Amino acid sequence: MLEYLFFLSSGLFLGWSLGANDASNIFGTAVGTKMLRFTTAAIIASIFLVLGAVLSGQNTAETLNTLGEVNTLAAAFTVSLSSALAVLMMLKSGISVSISQAIVGGIIGWNVYNHKPTDTETLTNICATWIFCPIISGVIAVGLYICVKKLLHHSKVHILWQDMAVRVGMILTTALGGFALGANNMANVVGVFIDSNVLSPLKLGNVYTLSSTQVLFLLGAIAACVGIFTYSQKAIKTVGKNVLSFSPTVAWIVILSQSLVLILFSSENLENFLISMNLPPLPAVPVSSTQAVIGAIVGIGLVKGGKGIKWSLILRVVSGWVATPVIAFILSFISLFFMENVFKQTIFIP
Amino acid sequence: MFNVKISLFARTRDLEHNIDSLHDKIIEMTMVFKEAVDIYLQEQRSEKYRQTSKKIKIIEHDSDTLRREIESKLYEQNLIPDLRGNILELVENLDRVINLFDEVAHKFYIERPKIPEEYHSKLKELVNQVADCAENMAIASRAFFRDLVTLRDYSKKVYLLEHQSDKTAAKLRNEVFDSDLDLAHKMQINNFIEEVADIADLAEDCIDALLIFAIKREI
Repeated sequence: MLEYLFFLSSGLFLGWSLGANDASNIFGTAVGTKMLRFTTAAIIASIFLVLGAVLSGQNTAETLNTLGEVNTLAAAFTVSLSSALAVLMMLKSGISVSISQAIVGGIIGWNVYNHKPTDTETLTNICATWIFCPIISGVIAVGLYICVKKLLHHSKVHILWQDMAVRVGMILTTALGGFALGANNMANVVGVFIDSNVLSPLKLGNVYTLSSTQVLFLLGAIAACVGIFTYSQKAIKTVGKNVLSFSPTVAWIVILSQSLVLILFSSENLENFLISMNLPPLPAVPVSSTQAVIGAIVGIGLVKGGKGIKWSLILRVVSGWVATPVIAFILSFISLFFMENVFKQTIFIP
Repeated sequence: MFNVKISLFARTRDLEHNIDSLHDKIIEMTMVFKEAVDIYLQEQRSEKYRQTSKKIKIIEHDSDTLRREIESKLYEQNLIPDLRGNILELVENLDRVINLFDEVAHKFYIERPKIPEEYHSKLKELVNQVADCAENMAIASRAFFRDLVTLRDYSKKVYLLEHQSDKTAAKLRNEVFDSDLDLAHKMQINNFIEEVADIADLAEDCIDALLIFAIKREI
């Protein structure tokens, strides 16, 4: 058990990175526009992140397992640590990045090191979501923006009541965003540890029993909460204020679009429904909340004429999306070599 | 007894009421000011003028109180963080217009200028234009909080009325300086004309700032 917890520490570190990095996407704009206090937003997001991770975090884990079933504890530790370090490196340089991309880079590193073929269909699926996620988010944001603008124009509501409505909306959306992040992204954090999980189920009184996988997701979520409170303010500065100077209403639309996209890519029910309607399904894949936010911001910025968007900063963030999986891949490959040859750990069971 | 005012809804409603009341005060001021000048031109500093002048003072005092309440509520309740600075500036501009009405009315009371009858109709015309200008500014400012299209409509009217008041003031000053009055008298009347016309200028400045705030307000 102790050995498991030691190896899980890298997963928890990645969880911390998720909280530090992605929380800014959930409520960064709300805090950046001073509509919500950081502490209020952080508490709401944390509670719902834990709920999302525990109640429906496992849907997206299957996709990552198909990409590469990291089947030893030492390998899971290494892949997770490499991804976390890649995220931290990018975060230190002030670029808000994607944990999803880091973990995918890390897993492919493990596949390549072990001469194991990567499931190209899953990889294509995942890479496609990296392109579609910001696009879908942008389309949702533009739709919401046009509707809200029309509504405000016709309703003639006093500015004070608009302010209050946006605040209430932001609180609800922060909760939704927290849940969505937990549901969609927690697989990135602890997904590679599922196969080697030795944790016991946890009884919550006589009401509910958490399965061992749910306990694993709970630990990851707690680590993410620590990340939210300890480091997310730095990333908020990038997403919340710098990319596009926008009004609180637009800020709310951005976080709502992002949350909806994350929900779309986490729901197995929706996937089954789309398949039953003969429509192209949206797979339950961990997508990047950063990409969703940037997609929404760019979408709204384009509708407004494109003048307010700071393209240089967007370019920096996008370059981070390319750099993150590559760095995670390289770190994973090198660390696996050391893990196997220096620390004499088993990193692959054929 | 449970104080309902602690609820966020009640506090927001209070502030909305304060902002509306401040606009009401400007509209009230324009009416009373027109009445005051009419009375002065007919009766000079009579008891009736003194009473009207007192009404103006009360409106000015009430609007000061409203301004202070709005400012403190906006900050204490941390409302509209992105536009708070603009709204404070707007409220202060509105208060400045009210103060200027009060200053001019008070000046009539203190200096008791003798305005020859041939200038009365032009001066009344000027006062009407200036009062209308300030009234339209108040309507535009009220619209800023609810309806930006109406704001633009009334802003146009303010610009038009300010232009008309400038022309009326220039004509009146020409007539005064072309007359046989002694220079000190001419200067005194000119000074009053300038001060009345300044109210329209200030209203125009308010609208300029308001239109910039409106751009920021658009989502």
